[in-house]
Amino acid sequence: MKRDPQKVRNIGISAHIDAGKTTLTERILYYTDRIHAIHDVKGKDGVGATMDFMELERERGITITSAATYCEWNDHEINIIDTPGHVDFTIEVERALRVLDGGVLVLCSVGGVQSQSITVDRQMARYKVPCIAFVNKCDRSGANPLKVVEQLKEKLHHNAVALQIPIGLENDFRGVVDIVKMKAIYFEGRQGEEIKIEKIPDELAEEAEKRREELVDAASMFSEELMEAALEGDIPEQLLIDAIRIGTLNRELTPVLMGSAYKNKGVQPLLDAVTRYLPHPCEVKNIALDLENDENEVILDPDINKPLVSLAFKLEEGRYGQLTYIRVYQGTLRKGDFIVNSRTGKKVKVGRVVRMHANQMEDIEEIPAGYIGALFGIDCASGDTFTSPGIRYSMTSMHVPDPVISLAIVPEDNKSQQNMSKALSRFSKEDPTFRVRTDHETGDTIISGMGELHLEVYIERMKREYDAMVHTGAPQVAYRETITEHADFNYTHKKQTGGAGQYGRVAGYMEPFEGEFEFVNKIVGGAIPTEFISSVEKGFRGALDKGQLLGFPVTGIRVVINDGQAHSVDSSDTAFQAAARGAFKEGFKKAKPAILEPIMKVAVETPSEFQGAVMGTLNQRRGMILGAQDEGDTCVIEAEVPLSEMFGYSTDLRSITQGKAQFTMEFSCYRQVPKTISEELIKKAQEKNRKAA
Amino acid sequence: MDTRQKKRRDGTSGVVTKNNIVYLRERSIAMLKKDLILRNPLRILGSGDREPIKEGEFGGVLAKAGVGKTAFLVQLALSNLLRERNVLHVSLTQPVRKVCLWYEEVFHNISQEYELKNASELWDTILPHRFIMTFNVEDFSVAKLEERLNDLTEQGIFFPQLVIIDGLPIGDESREPLAELKILAREMRFPIWFAITVRPEDALEPAHIPASLEPLSDLFEALIGLKAVKGKINVMVMKGQGSEINNVFLDPATLLIKNRE
Repeated sequence: MKRDPQKVRNIGISAHIDAGKTTLTERILYYTDRIHAIHDVKGKDGVGATMDFMELERERGITITSAATYCEWNDHEINIIDTPGHVDFTIEVERALRVLDGGVLVLCSVGGVQSQSITVDRQMARYKVPCIAFVNKCDRSGANPLKVVEQLKEKLHHNAVALQIPIGLENDFRGVVDIVKMKAIYFEGRQGEEIKIEKIPDELAEEAEKRREELVDAASMFSEELMEAALEGDIPEQLLIDAIRIGTLNRELTPVLMGSAYKNKGVQPLLDAVTRYLPHPCEVKNIALDLENDENEVILDPDINKPLVSLAFKLEEGRYGQLTYIRVYQGTLRKGDFIVNSRTGKKVKVGRVVRMHANQMEDIEEIPAGYIGALFGIDCASGDTFTSPGIRYSMTSMHVPDPVISLAIVPEDNKSQQNMSKALSRFSKEDPTFRVRTDHETGDTIISGMGELHLEVYIERMKREYDAMVHTGAPQVAYRETITEHADFNYTHKKQTGGAGQYGRVAGYMEPFEGEFEFVNKIVGGAIPTEFISSVEKGFRGALDKGQLLGFPVTGIRVVINDGQAHSVDSSDTAFQAAARGAFKEGFKKAKPAILEPIMKVAVETPSEFQGAVMGTLNQRRGMILGAQDEGDTCVIEAEVPLSEMFGYSTDLRSITQGKAQFTMEFSCYRQVPKTISEELIKKAQEKNRKAA
Repeated sequence: MDTRQKKRRDGTSGVVTKNNIVYLRERSIAMLKKDLILRNPLRILGSGDREPIKEGEFGGVLAKAGVGKTAFLVQLALSNLLRERNVLHVSLTQPVRKVCLWYEEVFHNISQEYELKNASELWDTILPHRFIMTFNVEDFSVAKLEERLNDLTEQGIFFPQLVIIDGLPIGDESREPLAELKILAREMRFPIWFAITVRPEDALEPAHIPASLEPLSDLFEALIGLKAVKGKINVMVMKGQGSEINNVFLDPATLLIKNRE
């Protein structure tokens, strides 16, 4: 392993599903000699791309788990995290971005900036990841990479500049003109490995000059030297590269490259751009929180001799036990060292240290600052920070969204039951958006996640990897309950017959609240003794777990207590908790309770001729169409649709658009369920309760 | 029990002005809408409850680039949305997300201005009345707009009662598309407001139509000009009703239409 952090690039490849990330990664690994044959994602040879190592991914042609791998190019070491494109697996993308220093945003030259690209871009902005863009699929019919550059500006508000222009397009796509070097690059040989650099074709000379001028204009904003050189008319290549680099690192410039990974064109210049324009670990400011010092922010120093600070960003259960992907931000993580998990305070000894290459691995002795590797036999959760003994830092916590959909699962037999438990415990450790709980009433195991596909994939993995056969119930939306009006309560809990007595009275009011829950104590004169106030709060908080309409958690409520009564002998913690629960029930009924449902933001991209039909399907599903964006032959319809109405939408959409449309969906907000639907839901819940009884 | 609670139990609206305090939060959404409509400075553009332009008629908001045409039109749209009138916003220069942001921004400013406590609830009730359509300027045609509108109306998804068109270049060659739009507006029975960017050399004066728009002025029933003067944006009527218009201006900080104190 090299020791020059300036020659290290930790990059992520993110994009819309089917933009060709996995194919691109596969080509990168091929050209950097990490693999010796190319297999396509949906290849006929049945081998599948190297990065999509799970059987299921090969079958579906999508990337589910980020696979970390590394390669070498031009004396630089590049660590790549291949990230999934589907919105349901966004947590994977977010995790990858958290630990990366730079990103490659892959866009399709036909589809352009699609809705998922916007999500991915937002995530990159959240973690301030500098990026370069690669417009893929220039060989496809309808390809227009320069239009995509415009879309990057208009839709994502990037200061995008083309570093290349295509030579030919669609079937005729032969290579690219490098605007920095002002040379034409052709890719020849069986796998495009022979690069031929020639003079720019005459018919493209004018366009290349125009683009070069635009590039110099944009880059000179970051370098006075370049500005002066441009005025004098003589621009040294390195000066231009340096200026582009400064702009990129500040996220004020997005260099755009183009090619066709599938046709083996344009990948090597992209690798050059990764090493030229994306930052090395020392150029990125990483912050940790000092847990010993009031969580004050500490800037980490990528010095290999300083105390270790590292982040476990991904867990995987492999054949040899738990594999923990780790990024070292400061110091060096060595085999045999003792490290401390900041969350639990537990000290563990580092066993095997490996460097990952898709599902193959290579044993190494240490991981220095700025590098990504993996450890075996470390018990931790995803997102844990490991440090040297003596310091207690925590990396900034990762943004984890709440799950919006649940599914009841029942194992087919005893063997499946055992395997299912193992699988669930591993999945929930690996993926913080995947949660497991047991329904106390039915005894069912309930799994929750970020979407239908998210859960489906885990069910499949349970079957394939753990041989756990399960039956699934209908997907259940994570409803919530709230109140819509101010209501008073005055409840006395009294049990004074036989045995120890219980007495407590709680009075006050509840009202709608913008946040989740607020408890306000306005008791004066000790109507409820101070020692029981926390019992009252506990009682109210406990009551929030289960609303009285459907039994879903209650949210958006402020409880104010202003009166009460205690008994010198019979009042206790239990009595006041019970009184608060009773008061909550009393108030909740009077406060016009309502059901809230998760609303998804849906974006459908469809050929224009199906626009009307698609809007019809969204409308039928209680969707509120926000708008329709016409983009020539295609259009994007943006809508907000209740999650409960989105089950099976992909099948419907495929059938009405002849499979030509696609959609993405992400959680937007909770909104009140219309009265008729709410009545239906309550009726169903009552029937279910009756049956259970 | 305080007076507010007493009043509500009596079945009254819950509005109490004790010590001149208006408890907006206590009001129902309907009351809130009514209040906002009454306080809306745009009311003076028409006479009384009458709209400044009727079905099949055109209105234009004229200004130089960057003066606040979109903000003005969005407020016009919001004042209709509050009255539960369906507004179709067609933009030829901005994507749906950006147009949504305009509405969110202007609504946010209005809710700050009037100190609305239940703004998000109000927002949820007006949103279903808005529909945004965006086109690339070069791909836009009246036939295409008509096709899209038919998609919406035939399936009962949305029936516009007011249309706003932002970003349509209006110049020497616009008579034909505008005439087609006029027919569409009459057939589908809605008024259309346009954002019109005037040339830098055009002078904007009350009751005076800039030379560049003169040949098309017969198509417009109302024209309103926005002019930046000494840190304020004056609103002036160039054609149509609204004699009190001199009393309003566009606040350059929030781009909200306000009454002159």
